[in-house]
Amino acid sequence: MKKLGIVLMVLILAFSVEVFATRTLRVLMPIGGGYTIEDQEAIAKEFEQTHPDVKIQMEFVGWGDLWNKIITSIGAGAAPDVMYIGSRWIPALADMGAIIPLDKYITPEKRALYYKTVWDTVTYKGHVWGVVRAMSTKVFIYNKDLFNKYGVKIPKNWDELLAAAKKIYHPAEGIYGIAMAGKKFVSTVTQFQQYLYANDGRIVDENGKVVINDKKAVRALEFYKDLSEYAQPGIIEWKREDLIKLFEAGKVGMYIDHVHNARRAMEKGINVGFFLIPGGPDSSKPYSTVIVTDCISISSQSKNVDLAVEFMNYMTSFEKQKEWDLKLGFVPPMIKEKDLPEFQKWYWKPYIEAIKYGYPEAVGIKDWEGTQEAILDAIHSVLLGYSDPQTALDRAARIIEILQK
Amino acid sequence: MRKSTPYVLTLPLIAAFLIFLLYPLYKVFMDSFYQASFLNPFYRKFVGLDNYKWLFTFKLFNPKMSYFLSAFWKSLVWVSGSVGIKVVLGVLGASLLNSRYLAGKKVYRTLVIIPWAIPWAMASMMWAWTLNSEFGVVNSILMNLHIVNRPVTFLSYPTTAFLTTMVVDAWMGLPFMIIMILSGLQTIPESLYEAATIDGAGDVKKFFYITIPMIKPVLLTVTLLSTVWTFNSFDIIWILTQGGPMSATETLPVAIYKVAFLMIRFGGIGKASAMTIFQVAVVTLISVFYIRTLRKGAEL
Repeated sequence: MKKLGIVLMVLILAFSVEVFATRTLRVLMPIGGGYTIEDQEAIAKEFEQTHPDVKIQMEFVGWGDLWNKIITSIGAGAAPDVMYIGSRWIPALADMGAIIPLDKYITPEKRALYYKTVWDTVTYKGHVWGVVRAMSTKVFIYNKDLFNKYGVKIPKNWDELLAAAKKIYHPAEGIYGIAMAGKKFVSTVTQFQQYLYANDGRIVDENGKVVINDKKAVRALEFYKDLSEYAQPGIIEWKREDLIKLFEAGKVGMYIDHVHNARRAMEKGINVGFFLIPGGPDSSKPYSTVIVTDCISISSQSKNVDLAVEFMNYMTSFEKQKEWDLKLGFVPPMIKEKDLPEFQKWYWKPYIEAIKYGYPEAVGIKDWEGTQEAILDAIHSVLLGYSDPQTALDRAARIIEILQK
Repeated sequence: MRKSTPYVLTLPLIAAFLIFLLYPLYKVFMDSFYQASFLNPFYRKFVGLDNYKWLFTFKLFNPKMSYFLSAFWKSLVWVSGSVGIKVVLGVLGASLLNSRYLAGKKVYRTLVIIPWAIPWAMASMMWAWTLNSEFGVVNSILMNLHIVNRPVTFLSYPTTAFLTTMVVDAWMGLPFMIIMILSGLQTIPESLYEAATIDGAGDVKKFFYITIPMIKPVLLTVTLLSTVWTFNSFDIIWILTQGGPMSATETLPVAIYKVAFLMIRFGGIGKASAMTIFQVAVVTLISVFYIRTLRKGAEL
């Protein structure tokens, strides 16, 4: 009888532990660039309130260290269940089996919420590997006062763009035609990609062939070099994220950036206007933009896949996405969002219009980090006059071809 | 005191040495014989000395020199330059602070330690903006004094970026040099200088025949430490240039980082480990050389 009592007590205890057990979900999130710990923790707390048995364990890392954190935690066999990643890393992570395909978790309703091009940014080898959380398109923001002062009209093509930069360029007065990025950083590659895509060029084509050294790409890099003649001095020391300092100081006529930086300049008293990035001479499209997204992916090491999917869907629900985009000033990735009153404002229109001309930043690129190094080397060697664009891009193409194997 | 007491007291140190230094080094050494990547923890293939061969055969941007040798060569020049600046300015700065004619020495000694006290990442950011062509105070001074008519873009050209990162590193390491050398200077008996004065020696002779020989042990020690630290310097270059423009400032620590974390298809843990072992060997050789020199100096 005594023995039976003990067995029963053990069973009851085990059962109660099971009932009140807390499931822990580890979530890796970046901070910086508008992402705050408080914002992310608020989402975790909300989720925990509706899931009393779940504990969300947020892990934060600065954007600059996110990639390292991801690969070291994967390498150590301790990857978080849910990871916020740049969509450009998907091919590398997917090829190594570090993240799981999410096709079976994406309902038709969920799929219909987003633009097709948004799904393209997270699709690799025919599978979806992430759900987009943040998206950006970019357009030119320009200083209307400087345009008026120098009698410049909104450029409609590359010749007019170059002419406009040249007309505004008055270095003796500290005024530059255009602000450009050249620092070794991901956003410098994206800035160059704006011109590459505008000229209908690509890094790799739809069949995975490296085309970064074809005529369209070479012309884009030539144009980047030409424009740099009328940019602020020493563009190699500038990354795109810092160019706003030049713009809000009234020192440059125009540059390509996010809407939130345009609004920041407005608050500083700059008379801001917008125009879409005009298509290059080899493109049949009038405008262009690079679609950059960040997404939520799920680690293949996760033991809580269903819970991770649930959290991912919670974070990317229409309500949460709307809150996020409005708070941080991101371009809405969900089609329905564009009807929200905030996105009707004049400064949002060009960014939303640009979506239809957009092409994903890294589609088909198997190793973004290595590719980025190769392209940065090409940009630097051309800007510094060490190589002509064709030679520089041939060298980059050789490296990227190895990376694509 | 028992005979065992010294061993018991050194036990934590030995444990820390084994856990935090020897074991990681052993792991890195073993990894250098494997093909492995952070992205795939379950894949490890023994490749023998292939990773070491790769160091001398793999060419990336420079067709004339292997990626590793190019980074190693840059490291040697960069370290020599930076340590050279630190030693020369360290001796001069310490001599100045030790001078009997300088008023307010305590204030200067406090001020001189500031660069050492600032976290390196923050100091690097500070320098990035100080040297900025549009908003930097350095260019502002140069322009206002009409020394230049256009802003100098320190970090935009390979040579200037290389020199600039070297100077910034020297700036950060200088306080340590000055303070250590100053402590050495203060141990020199005044009587030696008085005797030299009676013998008719001038300031320059006193400096080379009394000051330098007397501070030689301190000088060798701080030079050795500074060389090792500078060889491992990463954050200054990473924050200022990320190894650019092109690969002008891609010293060995930066290259190791890139091979381990960024150029995973070319590199990976195994190759980065081989690079690290090579660097450890070089730094150890330098250390042994200096320690031997130090011993010789002490025996004299």
